[in-house]
Amino acid sequence: MLYTAFRSLKLYPVENAQVQKALDDLAQSTQHLLDVEKELELRMQGEFIFVNSTRLRLDLDNYASFSHILGVLRQCGVGAVRIDEGVERKQLQIFVSLLLSYAAKEATPNKIFELGQKLSDAGVTHVGVEPPLETDEEAEDEERQKEAAKRTYARSVAVTKEVINSIRMGRTANVKKVKRAVQAIVDQVLNNEASLMGLTTLRDYDEYTFTHSVNVCIFSVALGRKLGLSKLQLYDLGMAALFHDVGKSRVPLEVLNKQGGLSDEEWRIMQAHPWLGVLTLFGLRGYGEIPYRGMIVAYEHHMKTDLTGYPKSLRGRDLSIYSKIVAVADGFDAATSRRVYQTVPIQPDQVLKEMWENPRRGYDPIIVKAFINLIGIYPVGTCVILDTYEVAVVHGANPDVTHVHRPMVRVVTTPEGGLVHPGFLVDLAQRDAQGNYPRTIVKVTDPVKYGINVADYFV
Amino acid sequence: MQVLSKGIRATQLYLPNNPVYQRAVDNIRAAFRQIWQATDDLVFDVGETEMRWEDNVVYSQDQRNESIAWTLFKDGVRSLTFRPGVEETEIVRFLGVLQQARNLQADAPDDLLTLLWAQDFQFVAYTFRELASENAVPIEKGETIPSTQPTDIRHHVQEEAPPKREGLVSIDDFDTTLYFLEDSEVDYLKKDVDREYSQDLRRNVLSMLFDLLELQTYGTVRAELISIVENFIPYLLGAGDFRSVAYILRETRAILQRAREIIPEHRKTLEGLPGRLSQRDALSQLLQSLDEAAMHPTEEELAELFQELSPEALPTLMGWIAKLHNERVKDLVQAAAARLAQANAGEVLKALRSEDSGAQLEMVKLAGRLKLPGAPDGMEPLLASSDRPLKLAVVEALTAIASPSALRLLERAIDDDDRDVRIAAVRFLASRGYRNAAARVEAIVSGSKLRNADLTEKMAFFEAYGALVGAKGIAALDKLLVAKGLLGKREAPETRACAAMALGKIRTPEARAVLERAAQDKEPLVRNAVTRALREVGA
Repeated sequence: MLYTAFRSLKLYPVENAQVQKALDDLAQSTQHLLDVEKELELRMQGEFIFVNSTRLRLDLDNYASFSHILGVLRQCGVGAVRIDEGVERKQLQIFVSLLLSYAAKEATPNKIFELGQKLSDAGVTHVGVEPPLETDEEAEDEERQKEAAKRTYARSVAVTKEVINSIRMGRTANVKKVKRAVQAIVDQVLNNEASLMGLTTLRDYDEYTFTHSVNVCIFSVALGRKLGLSKLQLYDLGMAALFHDVGKSRVPLEVLNKQGGLSDEEWRIMQAHPWLGVLTLFGLRGYGEIPYRGMIVAYEHHMKTDLTGYPKSLRGRDLSIYSKIVAVADGFDAATSRRVYQTVPIQPDQVLKEMWENPRRGYDPIIVKAFINLIGIYPVGTCVILDTYEVAVVHGANPDVTHVHRPMVRVVTTPEGGLVHPGFLVDLAQRDAQGNYPRTIVKVTDPVKYGINVADYFV
Repeated sequence: MQVLSKGIRATQLYLPNNPVYQRAVDNIRAAFRQIWQATDDLVFDVGETEMRWEDNVVYSQDQRNESIAWTLFKDGVRSLTFRPGVEETEIVRFLGVLQQARNLQADAPDDLLTLLWAQDFQFVAYTFRELASENAVPIEKGETIPSTQPTDIRHHVQEEAPPKREGLVSIDDFDTTLYFLEDSEVDYLKKDVDREYSQDLRRNVLSMLFDLLELQTYGTVRAELISIVENFIPYLLGAGDFRSVAYILRETRAILQRAREIIPEHRKTLEGLPGRLSQRDALSQLLQSLDEAAMHPTEEELAELFQELSPEALPTLMGWIAKLHNERVKDLVQAAAARLAQANAGEVLKALRSEDSGAQLEMVKLAGRLKLPGAPDGMEPLLASSDRPLKLAVVEALTAIASPSALRLLERAIDDDDRDVRIAAVRFLASRGYRNAAARVEAIVSGSKLRNADLTEKMAFFEAYGALVGAKGIAALDKLLVAKGLLGKREAPETRACAAMALGKIRTPEARAVLERAAQDKEPLVRNAVTRALREVGA
């Protein structure tokens, strides 16, 4: 209702019938909720909206509306909206109009207070706005989330290692553990995706095959969430993503870990891993149901959208959306990781650029676009130089998607060149009193050059 | 907890519309409402046999199969929290999950935790023992990169500035509206997700397997793939996915034609797949499960599968037709059998030789319906059978087939022990004007065989005599109808009436003349027969 009211008021004058209907509907629903709950609190937390402590469920049918509402409220600096009994339609109309007009204005720290004052001046007594919560409790909560993310990550890697090693040795794999790991990743991504995404920057935590599988699972689930998949769909996607390279368990270790270039025959063996994955999943004892979706993703994740990749397909097929998601997550993590045959990882923004601009890579452009919007054009873990001569590590994409080029960063050096740990978080989208951006990224750089271990800032 | 325990029992024993179940749920709801007046949440520690609230045992049950505590504990749950609101709808789902978890097999891929997780409860929370924690390596700070001097850092930064933006993805490439994807792009993704969940996953995977089977020429790989396909078939049949089984058989044929370098062993196995499914035991299992299934596949699905059966399936199919209760399945089996019978004369003969009389009977009927010209060869022994319905079906089938060999068999059948068989055979032969049978019919008519026969049989034979012997028989019939014996006594009225009907079949002026002489016979039976015969002869 709120979204419809925003949209119609943005497009038409207030006297338009469509606007009037939208406001009628909004007033009616609000009244209905107030009849039951007596008071309404609409609170933004991360990328979620809570109504009186109940988190609203996101899915593909409503996430664009959520995103729009979140954006409008953020642009006004609003963290919560309170509506009391006695609110009238007229007040709601003024509130929605004011939100829209303030959202269009330049961001200033005082915006929310100005908005509050305007509401009061207009006699809107039953609708109030509050700034976002920033309490010690929230900081503690973030720390807890970080610890939970570390536990989830470590367990997921351990489980993946156990399963892959079991398969290599022909032993029964404990699929229940895998399920639990994927469930934990889904929960973590749903609660706080940034903390888990940050851990994908970890290098040398364990053998590449295991961390890569977990990273691809995390990226895929996070991307799936961005696309509005339901919790159970995220689980399906996560399971398939975690097993996408399971076929490598049948590739000889001397080929898998070979340093330097592969011979034609070795390359042919490596290229067999997608279909070896299908055979492996068929043989994975302990699976009551046959993991069809996992097989499809394992088989298709190197096929490319025009099917020119591998393995070759004789019988016509449309790539599964999960294969396309995993392909993007896989491509990104593989290129940005240090592996035995790729000792220098490619900078994340370069990888995204290639994925986005080079159609021969065979990624689905819409999925790539969604991925870039998920991780920002400066992905988590990217090391950047700011125009203040400070070096920073990208902490997360800006929650406001209009500032996709101004991520949240952790400044890790002083302008004089001193390394600081843990540094401090800065939202590059925030302006100073004069309306200028105090810090702007001027260059992506190699963290090794500055003695920076990126993962340290996420652990 | 006692109320909750009763709720689980009610979930186990009654359907949701049962008043006992509804009362149990109402009691739980009422109990929770009372609790929420005193506390904001309800946290239980879960033990093997008991549950504790604030260190007090509030539930204890030593019988594990009865115990809520054990159901939770065995799958790792260590604490359980209910919050206000749980009583509205979630408690019913929670009870359902507990019940489902109790029924899981020990080796089931899911457990209570997965079931709870999938429910996405908002008012039920739980903690559990981590299965994987023992092997997890704690995440700590990574490798140490030799620390760089601040002056060096400053130097590097200055070296890298002023900024160069090459390598960055241009912001202009992106739609910077708040909805980060266009409506059309969201639609595209939505359709893709819909497709993901509406696709036939098995077909997709099978298609992969056959691509691999076709393209991978390595013997060991092919052996593994063939084994997967072979093992897949019973699984698919069990799941009622007949279309996929048909797909396997169809694609197997394609592979045999197209794939390169198939070794003889693999070729033999692949060629044998349709045959294995058509073998008696396997096919009987399939037909039995189809007949007993509560959910029936569509006609197309079954037709697709039956289309792929090999000829050796025919006798088994025939044997099952009479046993099937489901008419739709029966129709499909008959259609499949018809297809196989028309294309495989040898299998028809095999089915006719079956030891199962039910299969023989259905095969005979089918052969008659399809007018299979080769079938009479297999029917000859059946005419000697003591199974009356079978013999009658054979005669009926032979009359339908009406080939020379069928007519020869029918000719022999007029001497059969069974009256109905004799009548059916002789009537048909008469109707077809099968003169080869004339001598045999004449012998019966003029002999003593009909002496004790009933009127219907006598009539059938006399009519056949008239039809097959024709004008040559007029004299004999005249004698039977009109002439008196030495003692001035005439034949019995039944015989004379039959003779009249036989003359009616001859349809010549001479025959008519004989009939007209008897038109005023004193015997009503004879007079009526003559009148009818005259009508048949015509003016």
